[in-house]
Amino acid sequence: MTASASADLGALRDVLKAAVAPGSERDVERYDIDGATPGAAFEPGNREDLATLVRLADEHGLAVVPQGARTSLALGRPLAGYDLAVDLGGLRQTVEYVPDDLTVTVEAGRRLGALQAELREHGQYLPIDVPPNDDVTIGGLLATARPGFWRGHLPAARDLILGIEVCLPTGGTVRSGGRVVKNVTGYDLHRLHTGALGAFGVIVEATFKVAPYPEASRTLVAKAPNLEAATALALRTWDASPVLRALTVLTSSAARLAGLEAAPQVLVELAGAKRAIDRSATDLASIAPFVDAPAGAWGALRRAQGDSERTVVRAGVAPTATRTLLERIDQAGGTGWTNIAPGAVVAILPEPTAEAIESLRSEAERLGGFLQVESAPAELRRQVAPSPGDTVLVEALRDRFDAKRTINRGRWGAVL
Amino acid sequence: MPTNDTGPTNDPGSLIRELQEALGASNVLHEPEDLVVYEYDATIERSLPDVVVFPATAEDVAAAVRLAVKYDLPVVPRGSGTGLSGGAVPIKGGILIVMTRMNRILEIDADNRVAVVQPGVINLHLQNALAEYGLLYAPDPSSQRVCTIGGNIANNSGGPHTLAHGSTVNHILGLEVVLPDGRIVRLGGRVPDAPGVDLRGLFVGSEGTLGIVTEATLRLVRQAPATRTLLAIFDSVAAASEAVSTVIRRGVIPVAMEMLDQEIIRIVEPRIHAGYPLDAGAVLLIEVEGVPDGVAADSAVVEQACRDTGAREVRSADEAEERERLWEGRKAAIGAIGGAAPAFYLLDGVVPRTKLPEVMTQVLELCREYGFACGNVFHAGDGNLHPNIMFDPTIPGATERVLELGGAIMRACVDAGGSVTGEHGIGLEKRSYMEWVFSEADLDAQRSVREAFGPADRFNPCKVLPGGHGCASGHASEVMQHLGAGSYV
Ligand SMILES: Cc1cc2nc3c(=O)[nH]c(=O)nc-3n(C[C@H](O)[C@H](O)[C@H](O)COP(=O)(O)OP(=O)(O)OC[C@H]3O[C@@H](n4cnc5c(N)ncnc54)[C@H](O)[C@@H]3O)c2cc1C
Repeated sequence: MTASASADLGALRDVLKAAVAPGSERDVERYDIDGATPGAAFEPGNREDLATLVRLADEHGLAVVPQGARTSLALGRPLAGYDLAVDLGGLRQTVEYVPDDLTVTVEAGRRLGALQAELREHGQYLPIDVPPNDDVTIGGLLATARPGFWRGHLPAARDLILGIEVCLPTGGTVRSGGRVVKNVTGYDLHRLHTGALGAFGVIVEATFKVAPYPEASRTLVAKAPNLEAATALALRTWDASPVLRALTVLTSSAARLAGLEAAPQVLVELAGAKRAIDRSATDLASIAPFVDAPAGAWGALRRAQGDSERTVVRAGVAPTATRTLLERIDQAGGTGWTNIAPGAVVAILPEPTAEAIESLRSEAERLGGFLQVESAPAELRRQVAPSPGDTVLVEALRDRFDAKRTINRGRWGAVL
Repeated sequence: MPTNDTGPTNDPGSLIRELQEALGASNVLHEPEDLVVYEYDATIERSLPDVVVFPATAEDVAAAVRLAVKYDLPVVPRGSGTGLSGGAVPIKGGILIVMTRMNRILEIDADNRVAVVQPGVINLHLQNALAEYGLLYAPDPSSQRVCTIGGNIANNSGGPHTLAHGSTVNHILGLEVVLPDGRIVRLGGRVPDAPGVDLRGLFVGSEGTLGIVTEATLRLVRQAPATRTLLAIFDSVAAASEAVSTVIRRGVIPVAMEMLDQEIIRIVEPRIHAGYPLDAGAVLLIEVEGVPDGVAADSAVVEQACRDTGAREVRSADEAEERERLWEGRKAAIGAIGGAAPAFYLLDGVVPRTKLPEVMTQVLELCREYGFACGNVFHAGDGNLHPNIMFDPTIPGATERVLELGGAIMRACVDAGGSVTGEHGIGLEKRSYMEWVFSEADLDAQRSVREAFGPADRFNPCKVLPGGHGCASGHASEVMQHLGAGSYV
């Protein structure tokens, strides 16, 4: 890792410090990423200070890493520069919440859990269950767009986002979208920012469509003789219930991780009106011996997926093709599961080597899909992290929004 | 004139020849009498293309785009031309690329709930093909009998069922597109959440300004085992609007909540006989779906909410045929207005749902003030208004005043915290209103997006963003210059 501003950083730190409210500076030790410590760290308490920091950093060629709960910093390639940590924790207000409109506007540093508690008072929630838990911040969950168990059954972050405010490296803030649930006014920049790992600006605020909190939910599980049978059962379950919120095939070791009997299992969550889920549970019982399971199983899996100390990969293939991948993971001693609806196969790898990851990736690609490394040691990520997609377009966009690569430099690879 | 490989040339004869060579002579129209059919969409704007082409493949599209670059001409993609914001109108001429020949459903993978289609596939044709698998493609614009999937993607179209399922963007997994430099690229894939920047999400709704869709991979959903349609009859729009909010407040999100006001009921009922009482102030069509027990539970909540907010009657239907009859009036409404007035101007605005009663009152007041009849048939659950202003364009000054009224209604939507389009797009029509919604910096960011994809005057110039080289400002007065007498709006 190279600290790009080198010797001048000491002087610059004083410039930054003087430009923002007193007390915004933080101890750099708390902001280590992949073993590197930034030259300075700030937690701006308002948007103006955030804009000032980002602008000054850009002017002076500093590399800025915005961060929220610091749960997903191992996503993407290792940084190519890290001078300034900007902690979004100081921007954590709910800006506007209109329960009857099912819309909420929040600052990027607000924790998902705090937001959920607020929504819950009005019988609503943001239907997002990203790893590792509800400690994640809104900005972080948007920038990383990691899917959870509800993906494919409920709309994802990129579907729920209605509008955004972003701070550009030039110091200006720009908005797209709005606060209404249906809107096609102008380009949807908010979708571009979702999952972009900060490539086009620092997310400051976002508006979401929220949902009524389901009257009831119920977790069921059914054991299968092997992963082939489990996947087949899951595919039938997918067709059989319209009130699914999650539908996951677990390898034996994943089942153990979830606190269930160590065997291939199909783990199901139903959510909705109580009468509907009871009826659906009865329907499911007629296709397999589903029994009630502790809802805590989901939390255990979610934490494991989001544990940045582990090497975790996520592949996406057609739902019917997931079995092949899951069997491979299982045979190699990995812990894995498949979220059927989005065709997402998650694996915690026992031997995190580039060869193991590349071999899974080529299998996923052979099946017409992809593989994404969600967390791994920096050295490994340097070898296997994904490309940002059509590099010509992405580079052209980045040239316009962050010409100096001030934000999260290198996360998407060399040119970005 | 000799063609010059290093710079643009403008000999129309050689352009036509080259297009004919690339796409086949029968797929290139250039005679004036052939071009007039392609000078408009479902709005008021008109403008002739220089040439119209009908590609059969992505390579054909790319070839046409490369020729547009060579001859320095604009490119305008077009589906069925049902757009309501002027998006497919070639306002600066150029090559109009009509996608209707690319109308094959390439694949239905029922097990994985994915369909791959060419962009010229008609929305309803796809729905019909999916029905036998018990699947559906959720976006269902009211124009679905005619409009194309490519047009739906370009406009991020909605429909009655957007309330529960979301707009088109939520149902697009991947796209193949031809960019302004003629490159063919893929955005997204067959499954969601591929690593990388979500250019797919940015592209959907870009109204033909960033590229041309040549193939789309769509997410399908399973038809619900049970569906119930309720028709609630109210004395006023305000009461019906209150019912909409009350249903949501009580924790039920129906799949659709559509409103028809009295003006529309009086036009529709005598023609369609859908059973809407002529003295009703408004009717709400509400649909719930799911497992039978859930449908029963949800519709009980809906019915109670309607009664609590003053519904004088709530009817319901479970059987497909009966439900279809209740829907018939809604689906035929726009057509019926066409038969009832010499012309009408269909607006699209969106407001926070809780502002519906207030904004609807304002809309009706504004229409009265300007002296026009106005019927409202709209996606009430989403706060998506569609006032239809009826007028006679042969009366001098009427059209100007209608456009002015349209602007005043849009302003009211923005002032209520909403926006100037919920589903029809900005196109030509609403470019100048963009400044009501966005700051100059916001608009600059959008210009940056456009430039990153290609020069702004290549693909669909003068659309979406205000300004632009040689573009009229788009204010009502300028729009007027494009109006011929007796225009059908
Ligand atoms: C009676 C009526 C009812 C309607 N109801 C609804 C409704 O309920 N909801 C709704 O959202 N809309 C509605 N509309 C508007 C319109 O039907 C939609 O916007 C529709 O998606 C347009 O499809 P089209 O094929 O006609 O596209 P066109 O009108 O031909 O084009 C629309 C835009 O898409 C671009 N475009 C077309 N094809 C492509 C392509 N392959 N690649 C890139 N860009 C392309 C064009 O350049 C243009 O900007 C209605 C219209 C009418 C007339």
